[in-house]
Amino acid sequence: MQQLHSRSTDTEARAIGLHLRRPRHARPVLALLVILLLGLLLSACDSGNTNNAAGNTANKATTTTTGGQPTFPTTKPALRTPNFSSEQIAPTVKVLASVAPTLIVQFPLVPASSIKSAFPNATATVTVMQGNPEISVFDTVFVTVQHMPPNVKFTVFFTELSAKPFGHAEYVGDVITRGDGTGDSVFHLIAFVAFAADNRSPTNSADQSGTASGIQLEHVGMWFDGVKSARQVLNNPSIAGTPFDGGNPPLHAGPQAMTDGQTLPVI
Amino acid sequence: MSFIHTLRRVLLSGPLLLALLLVASLQASAAPTSPARVAAQHVASANAAPFNAQAEQLRQMVREGKLAPTVHVLSSLPPTTIIQFPLVPSGIKAAFPNATGLVTIVRGNRDNSVFDTVTVDVQHMPPNITFTIFLIELANKPFGNVEYMADLTTRGDGSGETVFEAITLVAFAMDARNPGTSQDNREGATSGINLEHLGMWFSSLQDAQKVLNNDTLTGTIFDGGNPPLHAGPQAMTDGQTAPVF
Repeated sequence: MQQLHSRSTDTEARAIGLHLRRPRHARPVLALLVILLLGLLLSACDSGNTNNAAGNTANKATTTTTGGQPTFPTTKPALRTPNFSSEQIAPTVKVLASVAPTLIVQFPLVPASSIKSAFPNATATVTVMQGNPEISVFDTVFVTVQHMPPNVKFTVFFTELSAKPFGHAEYVGDVITRGDGTGDSVFHLIAFVAFAADNRSPTNSADQSGTASGIQLEHVGMWFDGVKSARQVLNNPSIAGTPFDGGNPPLHAGPQAMTDGQTLPVI
Repeated sequence: MSFIHTLRRVLLSGPLLLALLLVASLQASAAPTSPARVAAQHVASANAAPFNAQAEQLRQMVREGKLAPTVHVLSSLPPTTIIQFPLVPSGIKAAFPNATGLVTIVRGNRDNSVFDTVTVDVQHMPPNITFTIFLIELANKPFGNVEYMADLTTRGDGSGETVFEAITLVAFAMDARNPGTSQDNREGATSGINLEHLGMWFSSLQDAQKVLNNDTLTGTIFDGGNPPLHAGPQAMTDGQTAPVF
């Protein structure tokens, strides 16, 4: 009974209190607040969707990671040094210890005779990487240079021989140096088993994998892409043109700038 | 009484209307950042694209027959050059008559791009087979001088694609002991022998013999590594006499 009484008193008081506390224009004000909040919410959702698609992707990734509770490895995969070649390779070639099944080979380029006196400190590193030698569809070749003639374009060739007369050659790509003489380029193409051939009279030659079709291109060199820039950089107007660039006119390229300098293969 | 009631309703609904206006303006200010709006703006500016002299020169060469009639020169923004041409079945024509290939070559700026990007897409090819891709002097036998660029391994449904990044539009073969010159229709006379065609070969003779059900097929040079002549016949060709790039 007391409970009933108190309940009834509470109900009355609440009714009175509400009536007293809530002014007559409270409902429109509440509605106004709700609309404002909804509006702000919509705007926030909209800007989140439109402004940052990458952000959404990142959020998704985070969600998946935290929600899916994946198991991550806690130790490093083992490194091994793969067999690179069945034939003798140049002593400058370093086969990196890497995670299977990758093959990563590095070797330096040194200044060729043309720039040796003007740029004795020029250096270059070539890194050739193969994802999985069994199934990869191309190799990745990184060429990084330092202390080279600044703001000059050089061509990169795979060649049969590292020194004159160079023999058969394949034009791979270019490197354009920056103002400080540094530069880098990345190419994606067949490198480890590159070869030249004329299918009218094909020949065989020795490759890292054994005897192979064509003439193996197992050296890397860099050339001035313009004989004019070579003459200017090296201050020698008597430098003759070479065929080591594509396009018109013939023999418009300059001399070799960097060479692997090896008799034995580097790739 | 009724007038006062109406007046009070009007007065109270005023803020409501104001709030609605505020929300509408917020939505309107957020809208320009939406992808659709941005894309529409880009389309509008792309319609007024600047003249691409390189692309027009190549189109003129197609009209003059200096480039193969199968070559599309896309209306790309300068300084880019984008060309596309099809590959058709050669050695696999009888067994895979519907095989198709599409080659897309993109060059950034002729004067300072350091390589070309080549994408090869194929469909309705023999499934789960690795093919080699070569730049070649001639589209058909004897093919002449060649350069090995990359591989393409098809999926189970016979489709596949690969991308390689290397000098392509001015590719040439040479023996520097006697480089010689040749005529590049786009550039003029150049050093070496221009490689202006592209073809695909079975990387394995055994695969070719199995897929084509023909044990008499003989090996070709069109793959690197040991042993010699372990590659199969040409599978796809641009099939053109005039250069395709």
